[in-house]
Amino acid sequence: MAMNSCFLNDPECENFDFYIKQTHKYENKTSDISDEINNIMYGKTLIPDSRGDIMKLLNKIDTIPRLFKDILYMVQAERLTIPDFIVDEIRELIRISIECCELLIRQTVALFKNSGGIRTLLGNIETNESHCDNIERRIVATIFDSEIDPFRKLQLKDLIEKIGNISDAAEGVSKFVNIMSLKRRV
Amino acid sequence: MFSLLGGIFMGWSLGANDAANVFGAAVSSKMVKFHTAAILASIFVILGAVVSGYAGIETLKGLTSFGKEEAVISSVAAALAVVLMTAFGLPVSTSQSVVGSIIGIGILNGQLNFTGMGKVVACWFGTPIGAAVVSIILYKVLAYLYNRLNLNMFESDALIRIGMIIVGSFGAYALGANNVANVTAVFVGAGMLSAFNAALIGGVSIALGIMTFSRPVMETVGRKLVMLDPFSSFVVVFSLGITVYFFTLLGVPVSSSQAIIGGVLGIGLIRGVDTISHKTLFSILTGWFLTPFIACLFAILINYIVHLQYVPHR
Repeated sequence: MAMNSCFLNDPECENFDFYIKQTHKYENKTSDISDEINNIMYGKTLIPDSRGDIMKLLNKIDTIPRLFKDILYMVQAERLTIPDFIVDEIRELIRISIECCELLIRQTVALFKNSGGIRTLLGNIETNESHCDNIERRIVATIFDSEIDPFRKLQLKDLIEKIGNISDAAEGVSKFVNIMSLKRRV
Repeated sequence: MFSLLGGIFMGWSLGANDAANVFGAAVSSKMVKFHTAAILASIFVILGAVVSGYAGIETLKGLTSFGKEEAVISSVAAALAVVLMTAFGLPVSTSQSVVGSIIGIGILNGQLNFTGMGKVVACWFGTPIGAAVVSIILYKVLAYLYNRLNLNMFESDALIRIGMIIVGSFGAYALGANNVANVTAVFVGAGMLSAFNAALIGGVSIALGIMTFSRPVMETVGRKLVMLDPFSSFVVVFSLGITVYFFTLLGVPVSSSQAIIGGVLGIGLIRGVDTISHKTLFSILTGWFLTPFIACLFAILINYIVHLQYVPHR
């Protein structure tokens, strides 16, 4: 939201700080939810191996909102503005990264409800991640082909890599979800 | 009572070591608390001994004829063989040790029941093989049913945990029923105990071993089983229970450790992985041949020492 409505469309967006606060709030909330899930787990008859796996999964999932927060803080602290010639590509990169996260949510729900389709969802996330990698490489190449200030080039490259990390993290978690599912298959 | 000490020690050592085979996986993976496992195992071992332990007692006491002295020598020799082999880090089976010492007594008194002996030895070979076959069949059938249930993680874990408690208790029952003969059968043969008292004393001494000293063994042995996934360890323990109980019905005491090795081997075969090392196979062979040989030797040696007489020179 912050990325799309503010720094891509309107670099002077007044709501940017508000969106950062919101993101930070949600990021903190994930930790509270993790603690709550840990408490619930001890009340259930889960075997320790499963408990360990769920705790690992929570830690892995927890890294994703942190990545969003870090990107926004980076934009805010470094006063980054996006040059017009890469706006569309970055928008596409963000869209696919968020789609990866949405697919991951579906996959995690499928794991706990045992509703199937986990391997297919992993396949979709992997495809999206490799798509993100391609866009990421293309944007970086475009940035270095441009005439903008070399220091800004490095800043933007750093930002693009950070955005690219979202789909990488989603793919990592998705693979772990798939392993959890395989471990339980008899 | 003093003369029963060899047998009671044997029971204690059996409880301390073999309870790990039935509840080790559940305890070391923390699915079941040690105290819960120890109490359940003790109750079911005693129940198994008292309710179904008589066939094994009949078989062992029928292998030779015993006097009171021979019964004591036999139980002490078997216990010593177990202690010595454990001290040297050699794998040992109480069932095979007891039969070895009985053979020693049989050799001494020239009354060895070869038919009974053949049946016992055949069952030793049949234990790991039988357990492997049972675990393969069980795995196939239970996996089919388990997959059809389509359980989520919480339901599946609850089912496995309850299943482990049930098959562990069944395994303990089978262990008590099968192995109580190792502890006190020779005393029944010598007329020192009634079959009921022998089963009760045997069961209680095994339970004593479980309550006092089985925890470290459960943790160690169980950890090896936990290398398997929870469903497979459940199948292995279940196949142990079925196999040992089957041999209880035949009246032959067998090794629960060898049954569990067979069960793990079966899972390995079905899943196409090496679950059993050459070292483990060597331990089975040692159990089959070395243990009875040493126990037999001890029985003959102790008998010789007991009958040494001091003849003063004139």
